Amino acid sequence: MSNEILNYDKVAEASLAKAKRDGAETMWDRKAAQKTQCGFGEAGVCCRICAMGPCRVSPVPGKGAERGICGANADTIVARNFARMIAGGASAHSDHARDIVHAMHATKAEGPFKIRDEAKLRRISAEWGIEGADTKETYALAHELAEMALGEFGKPFGTQRFLKRAPQARQDVWEREDIAPRAIDMEVTTLMHSTHMGCASDYESIFRRGMRTGMADGWGGSMIGTEFSDILYGTPTAKASSSNLGVIDKDQVNILIHGHDPNLAEMIVLAAENPEFIEMAKAKGAKGINIVGMCCTGNEMTMRHGIKIAGNFYQQEMCIITGAIEAVVVDVQCIFPALPALAKKYHTRFISTSEKAKIAGDMFIKFSEATGLDNANEIIKIAVENFPNRDASKVEIPDIKQDTLVGYSVEAIIDHLDKVVNTNTSDAMGTVKPLTDVIYAGVIRGAAGVVGCNNPKVEHDYAHVTVLKELIKRDVICVVTGCAAQAAAKAGLLTLEAKEMCGRGLKEVCERVNIPPVLHMGSCVDISRILHLVNLCADVKGIDPALLPVVGIAPEWMSEKAVAIANYVVGSGINTYLGIIPQVLGSPNFTKLMTEDCQEFLGAHFVFEKDPLVMVDKIMVDLEDKRTALGI
Amino acid sequence: MSLTDLIYAGSNAVAGLTEGAVNDAIEKYGESHAVGYPDTAYFLPIIYAATGVKIKTLGDLPAAVGILKSLITNKDDLGEALNAGLATAVGAEIIEAIRYLDGDPYAEDAGIGFVSDPIIRSLGVPLVTGDIPGIAVLLGESADPKTLAAIVKDYQEKGLLTFMVGNIIEQASEAGVKMGLDYRVIPLGHEVTSVIHVVSVAIRTALIFGAVEPGKLADFLAYTKERVPAFVNTFGPIDEVVVAVGAGAIALGFPVIADVEVPEVPGALMTQADHSKTVETSLESRDIKIKVTKIDVPVSVAAAFEGERVRKDT
Ligand code: SF4
Ligand code: SF4
Repeated sequence: MSNEILNYDKVAEASLAKAKRDGAETMWDRKAAQKTQCGFGEAGVCCRICAMGPCRVSPVPGKGAERGICGANADTIVARNFARMIAGGASAHSDHARDIVHAMHATKAEGPFKIRDEAKLRRISAEWGIEGADTKETYALAHELAEMALGEFGKPFGTQRFLKRAPQARQDVWEREDIAPRAIDMEVTTLMHSTHMGCASDYESIFRRGMRTGMADGWGGSMIGTEFSDILYGTPTAKASSSNLGVIDKDQVNILIHGHDPNLAEMIVLAAENPEFIEMAKAKGAKGINIVGMCCTGNEMTMRHGIKIAGNFYQQEMCIITGAIEAVVVDVQCIFPALPALAKKYHTRFISTSEKAKIAGDMFIKFSEATGLDNANEIIKIAVENFPNRDASKVEIPDIKQDTLVGYSVEAIIDHLDKVVNTNTSDAMGTVKPLTDVIYAGVIRGAAGVVGCNNPKVEHDYAHVTVLKELIKRDVICVVTGCAAQAAAKAGLLTLEAKEMCGRGLKEVCERVNIPPVLHMGSCVDISRILHLVNLCADVKGIDPALLPVVGIAPEWMSEKAVAIANYVVGSGINTYLGIIPQVLGSPNFTKLMTEDCQEFLGAHFVFEKDPLVMVDKIMVDLEDKRTALGI
Repeated sequence: MSLTDLIYAGSNAVAGLTEGAVNDAIEKYGESHAVGYPDTAYFLPIIYAATGVKIKTLGDLPAAVGILKSLITNKDDLGEALNAGLATAVGAEIIEAIRYLDGDPYAEDAGIGFVSDPIIRSLGVPLVTGDIPGIAVLLGESADPKTLAAIVKDYQEKGLLTFMVGNIIEQASEAGVKMGLDYRVIPLGHEVTSVIHVVSVAIRTALIFGAVEPGKLADFLAYTKERVPAFVNTFGPIDEVVVAVGAGAIALGFPVIADVEVPEVPGALMTQADHSKTVETSLESRDIKIKVTKIDVPVSVAAAFEGERVRKDT
């Protein structure tokens, strides 16, 4: 077991030692069991999309088999595999969003699904051109908007409504290059079609179609997911929370919520507040009920309620290994199928709740919009009743937690920026102008969105934290989402005190605006918030966002969702740095298209760089080049 | 040009001028010739505060020039650019000190030039008590002398201490602004380098009242930022040297409000083209709250008028 790769993380070391003692298997054991991973898959040159295959072609041009049985070459195979990753990612985000919209369609004044940010409901309705958006009865409007949003997934004509948020210059690029996404499901389906055996073989065409599908995620599924979640559950505002495994409380009933969909999480949070259950927990000898979050559903809950974050992706097993979790409740995405078996090593109940992600091995409670609160009540009850089964001799909670500030939605950021607007100048309130001002003046050199997962190919959280620390030192303000945000939280970067780690300019900005240098903007679908923010900045200056000194970074990505995200970020004109090299190197042509040639028609490109320090150097050159081009 | 480029252009120009002036002076008077300001115990106060070095003779200056040049790194970085702003201040202090070698350079000027220690001591108490709620530093030449005068009078009414540099001095006085320490409106001089005499006031305030130790630059900057409620208003087009001086002001924690377009930095550098709003914009930028409520009488009522003598018209 190569625990050395976790040297960076003190919590991990103790957890893995305990796992060994408890005879529990973890991802590192399974990684080791994989031995050396297959070089063909790694290079993306293995194809199994038809039954003549599997075929594998040589990743080295001019050597060995150059074509699959159908005649597909490395370029085609790599492009198709990559495209299908995008389709996988885009569908995950979109299906998540669809559930949110369905929940909105099921809202009623009596709840439990309610409209909690009515102003935002009316704002988005007006943005989408609903007549009487400011006067209609709340729920009638919510249902109308929800229906409209459901249309975004399958409407026969037209492109995504949110695209209009981008400055005209960017919309023109999308139009010209034919990457403005149409209905979300249509883009996924048509991409699956194109990558079927015997369809598209032109790697550039496949790349562009993949890009458009990615765009359907960022400007469609994810953006709908975020905005509608805010309407349903409230737009996040700045608040305090805490992070890392130390937030698990040995004296309470601990319930870990893992996954993505806030529908489930919100109902659980609601149910856990029920005094009846708290009494019940006390009767069982616990001091109360402690909900902790993980991955993106953790992010959703912390952004809106300050719920504590137990950890990020790679810590999902460690959480159970503490021996203090009564129930792990999951919905969809990024949940190890290994968890139920691991839970069995302890008293932990593993409860999967989504029909889309039924996980075999323990318990399944079907969650639906119609019965949401009842489902949550049942789950809480199971967890509370499980408390007496906890084996005290197996409980070991690492004593490490870190205070953190969360909740920086676009709205919350603008709210903070308003505080530095001089009310006597012509500057309006409620804009991002103070941010563009400090970027243009050079007080800060640029902005970076740091997002993405963990990946056992690299030391966990090391790249996240290194990239963030080095960037803020160089006066680059950072926004984070997903597991990168949780890495930042654990490293103490989401605090006001972190300003001391910054360059002079960023420090000054943090002090004046009263923000941490790294801002937690939410879950993976909330990367749409970053898109929105960057586009608002471009709007202030009336330019294509591709011209702004802004980058996207996924230091430790692993999921197909991350691939979809990277695509829409590049498609939105933002250079995107990947710390894990995608499985494309088997096609030098496709690699060049991604990392160089697409700059020509998209105004942005991908950068592959494994070493976080070298990556930061490249980013600084990139940002300064952009500044020079803008004359700032 | 980017903001940092502008700052470096100005600071490099001032560094060059400083070096030239020092070399010329040494050639003319020799290294052992004394250099300094009248009525101060603090040598060249900015250099003394920043480095602890007591400049006494011309021979002490080349080393100071070396330090100021080393502060100008030309790096695209706010901290470095602010240091270049401070270097500009040091340069101006040296240039002004050299001007004093040939006797009082302000003898023929409407400005008073260097502000002596006794004056600063006399201002200390009202500053500490908030009786002087702020220090306005006005610089340049206004396209509209009437509104300029209105601004100065407004500061006067609110009890602020106003320092003036440039042709705005004549412009204001022609428009009926009364000047002098008693009126809390102090003309400093016409050269842009004479703005340094107000920086010198801020720095000596920290030395005298803040008991900050010479050589502890960071402590001085913290003191001026927190305790000296000053801000800068510029009038008319601004050149690179003014931008570099402005960077020095920002380093001290003083916001700069220009009446022309500048690369804005919220809270530190901003544009207010409308002169009728200059005062409110400036006070808000420095978070200055006027203690006394304005009494609605037909003549101006404020502490600034306490020293006024009512003269009989002849
Ligand atoms: S599509 Fe072509 S390359 Fe792929 S498995 Fe079938 S025959 Fe082989
Ligand atoms: S960042 Fe990656 S691992 Fe973490 S929740 Fe999102 S997709 Fe899953």
